[in-house]
Amino acid sequence: MSAKPIVQVENVTHVYSRGNVTALDDVSVTINRGEIVGLIGQNGSGKTTLVKHLNSLLKPTKGRVLIDGEDTEKQSVQAMSAKVGYVYQNPNHQLFARTVQDELEFGPRNLKVDEAEIEARREEAIEFFGLEEMRDLHPYRIGFPLRKLVGMASIFTMRPDIFILDEPTTGQDNITTQRVYKLIHRLRENGHTVICVAHDMILLAEVVDRLLVMRDAHLIADDTPRKVFAMREVMESTHLAPPQITQLSLNLKKGKVVLSVDEMLKELKS
Amino acid sequence: MAKGKPVIEFKDVSFGYAAASDREFAIENINLTIYEGEYVALLGLNGAGKTTLQLCINGVIPNSIMGEFSGEFSVYGQDTEVTSVREMAKLVGMVFDNPEFQLSQMSVAEEIALGMENIGFSFEEMNRIIPEVLKIVGLSGLEERSPFALSGGQQQRLSIASALAMRPKILVMDEPTSNVDPIGKEEIFAVAAKLNKEENMTIVMAEHEVEVMAAYADRVIVMDEGKIVLNGTPKEVFSETALFERLGLRTPQVTELSAKLAKKGTRKFSKGYPVTLDEAVSSLR
Amino acid sequence: MQGIAVPISVVPGNSPIHRINPIPKMVWVLGILVISFITRNPVILGGVFLLGLLFVTIAQIWPSYLRVVMVLFPISLTLILLQSIAPAFPQPWTPIVAVGPFTIWQEGIYSGLSLLLRIMCMTTFAMVMIMTSHPSDIFASMQKVGLPYTMNFILTMTLQLIPILQSEFNTVLKAQKSRGLKGTGFAAILPSMVPVFVGAIERVQQLSISLESRAFGSSGQKTSYRQVQFGFKDALVLAAGALFSGAMTYWLLVDKTLDWSRTLTFSPAFALILFFGAGIGFLLFIAFALRLVLTA
Ligand SMILES: Nc1ncnc2c1ncn2[C@@H]1O[C@H](COP(=O)(O)OP(=O)(O)O)[C@@H](O)[C@H]1O
Ligand SMILES: Nc1ncnc2c1ncn2[C@@H]1O[C@H](COP(=O)(O)OP(=O)(O)O)[C@@H](O)[C@H]1O
Ligand SMILES: [Mg+2]
Ligand SMILES: [Mg+2]
Repeated sequence: MSAKPIVQVENVTHVYSRGNVTALDDVSVTINRGEIVGLIGQNGSGKTTLVKHLNSLLKPTKGRVLIDGEDTEKQSVQAMSAKVGYVYQNPNHQLFARTVQDELEFGPRNLKVDEAEIEARREEAIEFFGLEEMRDLHPYRIGFPLRKLVGMASIFTMRPDIFILDEPTTGQDNITTQRVYKLIHRLRENGHTVICVAHDMILLAEVVDRLLVMRDAHLIADDTPRKVFAMREVMESTHLAPPQITQLSLNLKKGKVVLSVDEMLKELKS
Repeated sequence: MAKGKPVIEFKDVSFGYAAASDREFAIENINLTIYEGEYVALLGLNGAGKTTLQLCINGVIPNSIMGEFSGEFSVYGQDTEVTSVREMAKLVGMVFDNPEFQLSQMSVAEEIALGMENIGFSFEEMNRIIPEVLKIVGLSGLEERSPFALSGGQQQRLSIASALAMRPKILVMDEPTSNVDPIGKEEIFAVAAKLNKEENMTIVMAEHEVEVMAAYADRVIVMDEGKIVLNGTPKEVFSETALFERLGLRTPQVTELSAKLAKKGTRKFSKGYPVTLDEAVSSLR
Repeated sequence: MQGIAVPISVVPGNSPIHRINPIPKMVWVLGILVISFITRNPVILGGVFLLGLLFVTIAQIWPSYLRVVMVLFPISLTLILLQSIAPAFPQPWTPIVAVGPFTIWQEGIYSGLSLLLRIMCMTTFAMVMIMTSHPSDIFASMQKVGLPYTMNFILTMTLQLIPILQSEFNTVLKAQKSRGLKGTGFAAILPSMVPVFVGAIERVQQLSISLESRAFGSSGQKTSYRQVQFGFKDALVLAAGALFSGAMTYWLLVDKTLDWSRTLTFSPAFALILFFGAGIGFLLFIAFALRLVLTA
C-alpha cells in the first residue's frame, strides 16, 4: 500500500450559520489511499459534518480540505461525485430512478463511462449485492433493508476512489450486515479508500484499520481499533462500548485487546 | 423466576397481509403464551414476522390492517377482535422503530397528552401524569419543547412516555433502538429494564442486539419465515449456536466463543454456554 | 428553497392581543371578512386597514407581518394590472387613457384598488390573529365550538409536517447532487419530489398505526389537554368585534351614497402611474423569486 495521502483535512472549522453551531473545531486529519477508516462518536459530535466536507457538500468556514491534492473549495458536489461516493444513511434520500437497474446505471452514465462498461458494472453489482430478483422493480417497491443495499450498489457502480458509508449497518439484520462486511473487504482488495461512519463496534473491530473518534466537534483519538478500544477515557466519555469479545479479553487477559471471536479462540489456546 | 399469570395468548394464530407479500402468511401457526412481568426478546431476520406478531398484541392486526387472520388470540383474557381500541390502549403500549414517525404534536406535553385525551382523562389527571412519565423516561423539564427538536434517543423515550401515560400493563417495543446512537440505546434499554423490574411491566421487545437481550430478557423467541423456531430462556436458546448460524443470526459473542471452544474440546461447559459477559468471565477464568 | 418559505405562525410575545382567547380574535377576522366583501369604498377599506395596522403595532409583530406582506403585496399588484384593463364591474365603463392596445378604465382602477385594499384588510386581521395565538390554542378553542377532534389533529399535523418536508426536500436535493445528478431549477427539483413524497407516505402510515395504539379514533368522550381561558376581557373583545362589524355591515348596506364607483374619478396621469408602478413592482418580484428558486 502506497502511503499517498488522498484526503487532507487541514485545520478545518465549520460553523453552521443556523444557530451559530461550531460543528468542527480546528480538525486535522490525513487519510492515505487504500485505508479503511472508521469514524465514531455520539450523534451531534460532528461526524456527518466532517464527511460532508470531503465531497464538497459543505465548505470549511476556516482551513481547507484537499482531495487527491485538490482543494475542494472550487469544486461542485457533482464534480466531486466522480472521486467521492457518499452512501447516505437513509437510502430514500438518494434514490430517484424508475428501476433498480436504472439506478445502478445512472452514476456511471453520468460520468460518461462507455455502455459496455456500464453494463458490466451493473451486472457485477447485481450479483454482488444479490439484487437479481428485484432488478426491474421500483426502488421504493422493495423493503427498507434491501433498499439500503441498492443505495450502496448505486455508488459502487461509479467506482469512486473514496467511499463514504454513513451508518451502513444501523437497523439492519445480520444477513445485510454480512453483506456490508463483504463490500468493505471487496473495496479494500480493489484499493479503494473507505470511510465508515458507524456505531456498530463489531463491524468496526473486524473491518477497519484505523478508528477516528469525535467528541464535541473535536477529533479526540486516531489510532488502530486495538489501541482505541484500550483507551478507557476515550471510550467512556463517548459512551462507546467495545465489542463484547473485546470486553471479555480486557477482563480475562488484563488489558489485552482482542478484536474477534476467532482471535480470542487462538488467544485462549496459547 | 416466578411466573405470573398468562397475559398474552396466541393459539394457532396465522396472518397473511392482503397487500402483496413474498409469502402467503406473514406469521403462521403461532402458539405462544407470555406471562405477566416477563421480559421477552423477539429475534429474527428482517421479514421474519416480528412486527406482524407484535401488531397482533394490541389488535391493530386484524382490526385495522387488511388480511387473513385465523386462530385465537387474547390479551388479559380479552379477545382483541371485539375489544375496543380504547380498552386495548389501556392494556398495551406500543413503541416503534422510527422515533420521528410516531410524533405529531407541537410540544412534548401535548404529545404525551394525545393518548390520554383519546381515552378521556381529565385535565387534572393529565397534569399529574405528564411529569410522572417524563420522570420515568428521564425527560423532565422538556414539556414545552417541540418533539422534533429532540435527539433520536430522546424522541424514542418520548414515545415510551406517551405509551406509559395510558397506564398499559404490557409494553411492546419494535426495534426501539435501531435508529439511535449508543447513549440513546443505553437509555432506552435502561428504561425498559426499570419498567420491567420496578413496575412488573410485561415487555415484548424485537431487537437485533443479542448481547443486550441476553442480559435483560427472561425469555428469547426466535422467528424465521413467520414461524417460531426457538422459545426459551436466553441460555437455552442461545446454546443452539448451530441453528442460529443456519438461520443467518448471531448469538452473543461470548456464546459463540464458548461453543467453538466446546467443539474443539478445549473446554467443557457443564452448566451450558455463558450468554453474558459476567457469566463468560467467571466460567472462562 | 428556505428563502421563499414564509413562516406564518405564532410570534411569541405577551402583548394585550396575545393574551386574548383565539375565539374573539376569530370573530374579528370574520367580521372584517364580511365588511371587506360588502363594500368597495376605498376610504372605508383604507380605514379598516389602518385599524388593522394599529393592531399589528399593539401586538408588536411588525417584522413577521412585513415578511408576509412582502410576498402578498406584489402578487396583489397583478389585480390592479388586470382590473384596470378588464374590470370585474358591470358595464358601461368609462375610459381614462389608452396604453397600446389596452384601455385603462375608470371602473377598473376603482375595482383594482378596492380589491387590493380588501386583500390587505383581510390578511392583516388574519395575521394578527395567527401571529398572536398559539396554533394549539386556536385548534383547541375551535374544538370547543364544534370542530371535530380529527380535524383538529389533521390541522396540527399538517403544520408540523410542512417544515419537516421542507428540510427533507433540502436533504434529498443534496443527496442526489452527491450522486452526480446535474441540472438546476426545475430539472433538479423534480426527482427530489418522489422520495419526499414516498417518505411522507411512509411516515403517515407508521404514524397512523402509532396513533391507533394510543386510542386515536376510539369512540366516546374525549378531553383536551390545552385549556384555553375565556374571561370577561375576552367576552368584551368578542362583543366589540361583533358590534363593530354588525354596525358597519348595517351602515354599509343601508347607506347607498357610499358607492363611489361612478363618482370617484382618476386623472390619466394617476392611472398610468398606478398601472406601470404595479407592473414594474410585479416584475421585480418575479425576478427575485426566480433567482431564489434557481440558486437553491
Ligand atoms: N444543517 C445544520 N444546521 C445547523 N446545525 C447543524 C446542521 N447540521 C448539523 N448541525 C449541528 O452540528 C453539530 C454536529 O452535527 P453532525 O455533524 O450531524 O453530527 P453527527 O453526524 O456526529 O451526529 C450538531 O450540534 C448539530 O446539531
Ligand atoms: N404492510 C404489509 N403489507 C404486505 N406485506 C407485509 C406488510 N408488512 C410486512 N409484510 C410481509 O410480512 C412478512 C413479515 O414481515 P414483518 O412482520 O415486518 O417482519 P419483521 O418485523 O420480522 O421484519 C414479510 O414477508 C413482509 O414482507
Ligand atoms: Mg450523522
Ligand atoms: Mg419489523
